[in-house]
Amino acid sequence: MADFNAISEMLQKGKAQDVKTLCQAALDEGVPAKEVLDKGLLAAMDIVGEKFKNNQVFVPEVLIAARAMNAGLEILKPLLVSEDTDNAGTVVLGTVKGDLHDIGKNLVKIMMEGKGLKVIDLGSDVAPEKYVEAAKENNADIIACSALLTTTMGQMEKVVHALEEAGMRDKVTVMIGGAPVTQNFCDSIKADVYTADAATAAESAKSICA
Amino acid sequence: MTGKERILNVLNKKETDVLPWVPFAGVHAGKLVGFNAEVVYKDADKCFQSLKEVNHLYKPDGQPVMFDLQIEAEVLGCDLLWAEDSPPTVSSHPLSETADIPTKIPTPDEGRLPIELEVMRKMKAEFGETTALYGLLTGPFTLASHLRGTNIFMDMIMDPEYTHKLLDYCADVAIAVAGYILDTGMDVVAVVDPLISQISPDHFAEFMTAPFTRVFDHIRERGAKSSFFVCGNATLNLDPMCRTGCDSVSVDENVNLAEAKKVCDKHDVVLGGNIPLTTVMLFGTQQDNMKCVVDLIDSVETKHNLIIAPGCDMPYDTPIENCIAAEQAVHNTDAVREMVANYESSEIEFTGELPDYASLKKPLIEVFTLDSIACAACTYMLAVAMDAQKEFGDKIEVVEYKYTIPENIARCREMGVKQLPSIYINGELKHSSLIPSQEELYAEIREVL
Repeated sequence: MADFNAISEMLQKGKAQDVKTLCQAALDEGVPAKEVLDKGLLAAMDIVGEKFKNNQVFVPEVLIAARAMNAGLEILKPLLVSEDTDNAGTVVLGTVKGDLHDIGKNLVKIMMEGKGLKVIDLGSDVAPEKYVEAAKENNADIIACSALLTTTMGQMEKVVHALEEAGMRDKVTVMIGGAPVTQNFCDSIKADVYTADAATAAESAKSICA
Repeated sequence: MTGKERILNVLNKKETDVLPWVPFAGVHAGKLVGFNAEVVYKDADKCFQSLKEVNHLYKPDGQPVMFDLQIEAEVLGCDLLWAEDSPPTVSSHPLSETADIPTKIPTPDEGRLPIELEVMRKMKAEFGETTALYGLLTGPFTLASHLRGTNIFMDMIMDPEYTHKLLDYCADVAIAVAGYILDTGMDVVAVVDPLISQISPDHFAEFMTAPFTRVFDHIRERGAKSSFFVCGNATLNLDPMCRTGCDSVSVDENVNLAEAKKVCDKHDVVLGGNIPLTTVMLFGTQQDNMKCVVDLIDSVETKHNLIIAPGCDMPYDTPIENCIAAEQAVHNTDAVREMVANYESSEIEFTGELPDYASLKKPLIEVFTLDSIACAACTYMLAVAMDAQKEFGDKIEVVEYKYTIPENIARCREMGVKQLPSIYINGELKHSSLIPSQEELYAEIREVL
């Protein structure tokens, strides 16, 4: 009987080796990889996200949990058949041009991947056109932009414009976030969704792609 | 009471006449005189010129000299990305791929430290008697993250021993820099560590308590006062922060000031904060800023041990009038509370008549002020207009409208006056917040004579 509770517990503690071992044990028992992924890894990451949102865990705990999740994924990936990996949606993610702050962006990536979304991470200092190109190439549902500086958040509006110019505005949802960003700002630049934290961003993204 | 007395009194747990105010004007200082961020932080004379203007317009009780958390990192080998309208950002982390602990301690002649220290000496000479001067340094955790990159977060769990050593080293750097800062005569050393909000109280206790306590002990031994600046939602870490021996802490709008005050009161630590930077200071109106500051002050139960300040370093483009309004609201809270109430009241209607600007007999100079006695920028704005009155005699007419009088609020609304202080010539906005020189104003008047 696969021990999803143990996987969850070890993942939350960031014990990568234990997560690996437990995932392997579950597979050896004949549990389908997809089930280990959903009931084990992703369910555990959901808990981490919720705790992060509620200030019960912080950046170090999230990063270490993500590392454990990835260790488990390594075991599962070769066994996930193609329909399993038909991801729940694709997100192009990056910190906007002129801004090198990527802690928040990386947390969003972790949380979104924890929801089973495919994330194309463009890194930081990403020009508006690059988001659009990547969205086109990957047939993305969402472009998600992060900014920490009041002086770079203006770049988000340029991303919206670049999408319009490419004629893709109605196909792609623009999500924005970061310390200085607010709902008012989101409305004023005609982006689609603002979320205040990484876990909520992942939840919104998931429901947008549903 | 001078501003300096106010700050030192509050930090010594004594009474003040009004609440102390510390506007965090970093690169924003440059906006007041037309220099961009890079110029302000690379040129001691221009930085000093900018900070002088901050002192004149914003009437700080305490004033930070440079709000740049990249100075130590730059000396220690981090590359910087410069921007015109924000402080530089660290773009490379020399320790990201190595577990070595550096031994190099910055000396006062390296990197931009000479610029910073020079500006501090100039500020001390100019404002040392009247304004409490804050020297800022990079806190050990944020410096460690500059050097190590985001790996530092994983290190805390994967390699605690290494993390301790790196933070110890960063505390050594902080102590050395605190020494240089104090040699210039700064009154308060602010240890600025925005990243503290990103870790748990347990991790704080495990990794931060010791190095931070060491830094604050050193500052105290040197006979100076200290502050612990943090950004983000640091609510849960306020208690351990207060235990590190700092005289004060400063928080941003992610922390509830009233709740934070209760925590700080338990430890008899002074609390500073936390006018919202983006929603209010950058994007809000002058009214929003007055209302916000008054509400903020009213929200806090006990008014001792309290400093009002922006949440963090003000954005470069923060409208100058917003900061002037915030200053007024801190120093003249009751008067401003009344202005806000009058402004919000729908009962006040403009009953008079606006001048017929198109057919005036002589040029009409209208000066709109918050209060030309209490507000420094308003005093200067009115003064230059009165100079013009003397210069041109009865060839022009100069009128002042103070916002303290309800009818004038109605007049401002009627005319669409959005910024105070401002000067209108023949009904047309000519100057707001920034005071024109005599020559500039005289030339504009001559044009319409």
